Amino acid sequence: MKIKFILNENEVSIDVDPMKRLLDILREDFGLTGTKEGCGEGECGACTVLLDGKPVTSCLVNAVHIDGKEVMTSEGIAQEPLGKLLIDCFDETNAVQCGFCFPGFLVTSYHYLITDGEKNPDKIKKALSGNICRCTGYQKIFESVMLACERKPLISTDQVN
Amino acid sequence: MKSIRKIDAIPKLNGSWKFLDDYSYEEMIHGQLLYSTCHHGTIKKIHFPDGYNLSEFTVVSAANIPGENIVPEPVCDQPYMADKEVFHFGQVIMGIAHPNRKLLREFIRKIKIEYEELPAIIDIKECLENEDNVFGKELIIDHRTGRKPDPNWIHHHKIYYTPHQEQAYLEPQGMIAVWQPKEKIMFVRATCQCPFFVKEGVETIMGSAIKEAVIETSEGIGGAFGGKEDFPSLLAGITSLLSYKSGKPVKIVLEREDDIQITTKRHPARIEIETWTDPETRKIMKIYIDYRLDAGAYQTLSPVVLARGVLHAISGYSIPDAYIRGRLFRSNTPSNGAFRGFGAPQAFAAMEAHVESIAADMNINPYKFRRKNIFRIGNEFPTTQPILENNLSDCLERVIEKSNYLQKLEEFKEWNKTHKDKKGIGISIGYHGGGYTGNGEKVLNSEVKVVIEKDATVKIYVANTDMGQGAHTTLAQMFFEAIDHPREKCLVQLPNTSKTPNSGPTVASRTIYIIGNLLRRFALKIKDELGFENLDDYVSSNQNEFPREFRMKFVQDPSVVFDEENYVGVAYKDYSWAACVTEIYFHADTYQIELTKSWNVIDIGKVVNQKIAVGQAEGGILQGLAYGLCEFFYKAGYGRMHGFSDYALPTTMDLPEIDVEFIHTDSPIAKGLGEIPMDFPAPSVRNAFHNATGIFIDEYPLVPERIFKSLTADERR
Repeated sequence: MKIKFILNENEVSIDVDPMKRLLDILREDFGLTGTKEGCGEGECGACTVLLDGKPVTSCLVNAVHIDGKEVMTSEGIAQEPLGKLLIDCFDETNAVQCGFCFPGFLVTSYHYLITDGEKNPDKIKKALSGNICRCTGYQKIFESVMLACERKPLISTDQVN
Repeated sequence: MKSIRKIDAIPKLNGSWKFLDDYSYEEMIHGQLLYSTCHHGTIKKIHFPDGYNLSEFTVVSAANIPGENIVPEPVCDQPYMADKEVFHFGQVIMGIAHPNRKLLREFIRKIKIEYEELPAIIDIKECLENEDNVFGKELIIDHRTGRKPDPNWIHHHKIYYTPHQEQAYLEPQGMIAVWQPKEKIMFVRATCQCPFFVKEGVETIMGSAIKEAVIETSEGIGGAFGGKEDFPSLLAGITSLLSYKSGKPVKIVLEREDDIQITTKRHPARIEIETWTDPETRKIMKIYIDYRLDAGAYQTLSPVVLARGVLHAISGYSIPDAYIRGRLFRSNTPSNGAFRGFGAPQAFAAMEAHVESIAADMNINPYKFRRKNIFRIGNEFPTTQPILENNLSDCLERVIEKSNYLQKLEEFKEWNKTHKDKKGIGISIGYHGGGYTGNGEKVLNSEVKVVIEKDATVKIYVANTDMGQGAHTTLAQMFFEAIDHPREKCLVQLPNTSKTPNSGPTVASRTIYIIGNLLRRFALKIKDELGFENLDDYVSSNQNEFPREFRMKFVQDPSVVFDEENYVGVAYKDYSWAACVTEIYFHADTYQIELTKSWNVIDIGKVVNQKIAVGQAEGGILQGLAYGLCEFFYKAGYGRMHGFSDYALPTTMDLPEIDVEFIHTDSPIAKGLGEIPMDFPAPSVRNAFHNATGIFIDEYPLVPERIFKSLTADERR
């Protein structure tokens, strides 16, 4: 099946098995290995990407679901001003341990930042509850996202747009 | 204490840091393991499914092994692959490879194996209750005085159970083997804790078919927690054999379900404790501990876990008369192995519950009872090792003070009188001996190497891996801080067994404690030998001396003398100490325990990097709390869990506020940190639940089902 979609702001097309998982398409066909497979059943969130602006676990999304849609991965988000802000905050708090889950956390945190962004621990906890981290105990991840919420207004709107 | 940023944080965040599955080699094919679904039996026939071109597959089994079919371990009793008889569910029978990963999975799923089934022990209690299942060497710490208990001493006798725990590293086990026939070298890319264990594993299975195995880790190791200590040896062996037979690079990455079902877990334990307490002095006078571990089908490294278990079994209490026995029990389940804590969390689970029970029974405040019995200078461990510091007691005092424990105890008591839901607060303490047990570090004889380049860059070569704990940042920091060299000029190299000396495995809270402190001394020694004030200046004015290589070996302190036959002497040179207070809110309608706050005071001596240390402590504490609260791995009638859907890992929604404070940080020595955060927190949950409801539950985890049963049983009584 031939599909077209927008990947990290670039239009791409590919001839692919309609049931191939988005996770495998990203990793195998586009070499975007930032998206990780932690469980393959939509539980751990390591493979989270944005699909039309919403966070989804790419291990549960098939090629047929992405035709004509927009996909944003951690690599794409890392280039965005708010993505850069988040990366800097995660780095500053030394939140990253093994790092396997972090591209997923980056995507989910980025989504929270663009859709809400309030510096509110309960909201942040809820927003991140679909991502599992086994190393950090989550505390430093909250601290980082709280910090990003605080600094978000310092990123100019021009840059965000 | 400088919180320098981690060297690998940015590439991990933007996705450019490579984990095992992110590596690819030309013509690489994919492998998977075919394992037993029978608990015990002889293999009668293996049926491959129709409709596949078998010539496209590479298949290896025990019959193809050119070397030995025994995985190198402290006790070498586990084969890489079963020959005729399988002894547990999940025992590997074959390695199979094919260029197409998806087709390979489909093929393996359709393979049918006929067994002649034999009797099997799969239930934890069935295994641990029956002394006929004992295997391996019994360990005994005999510190008896021969004195008979006074008639007025109060006798307590209880049995405690702890379950399996899954490491749940986010990156599954994986291995890539690349056979290089010209050089007869088997190159292996590994996600592992111990590259030299993997090397031995590959060289054992391959025998004289290869000249050497060279192991290099992946850049990223996606968590390990002990789970990547010994299983990688088996996996690397089979992956190598597949590469050897196919002539192609082979990658095996385990599916999460396979990883959960067949790899090593924390040992389930049954710990029986008898104590005699003097009601006048409120001192525990005599103790007997029977510490049992379900090792699984093979001993592998369980004897070492057992050793640490018995050495921590008494918790932090000075008891004049002690007898501790530790035994391994065999079951028809996959071998259990290393998991952060390594036998100590089970020990504290039992003893920290037991002291709580004594205190409750004698109507003594649990803190005051602990304070009465806690280790102090002048006391000794049951091995006769003297206690040289009051730091455990300092941890306890500090955590009681900062959590406002005594006042909360009263407040909650009042609050609970008028509410159906209940609030509770509980204490636990713990400690962890740093490095290998007893004479282990002497035997390891760790060596490190540095190369100073012409531009004064220092390349550090150690076999210890960075699996998220930040070791490569902290190790480099210990070196460059000692000689005041710029951070960017001091880098730990990716471990590779052909370039890196054997500085031992990344286990036993030894990386910073043994290797880090060694690197610090090494830096000072080089400075002294070369006689420089500033390394940059020295190198630029003595260019002809560089690049230059330096090596140094670890020398154990002479005070560490341990009699491994009789379990007498100094088991660990330095201990990290900790105490914890946890608050819970018990939802009476749903039988759920909600963790609200956990205070933790830990003594790890000198803190090299404050943020890294706090982060590691927080992560370990949540693992520890979850061990007591929600992580349920095996259920009679259901079997093992299958993935993250049925194995309940804590998420952000389960997280209490975690407070971590390090004390005695002015110590010159950086002690072990890796494991202690996992050791001590779990009993505080159980003790807080007792404080809230008056009910003792002597088995983890405290899931609503267990609480419901326990509460209703209590009503029936």
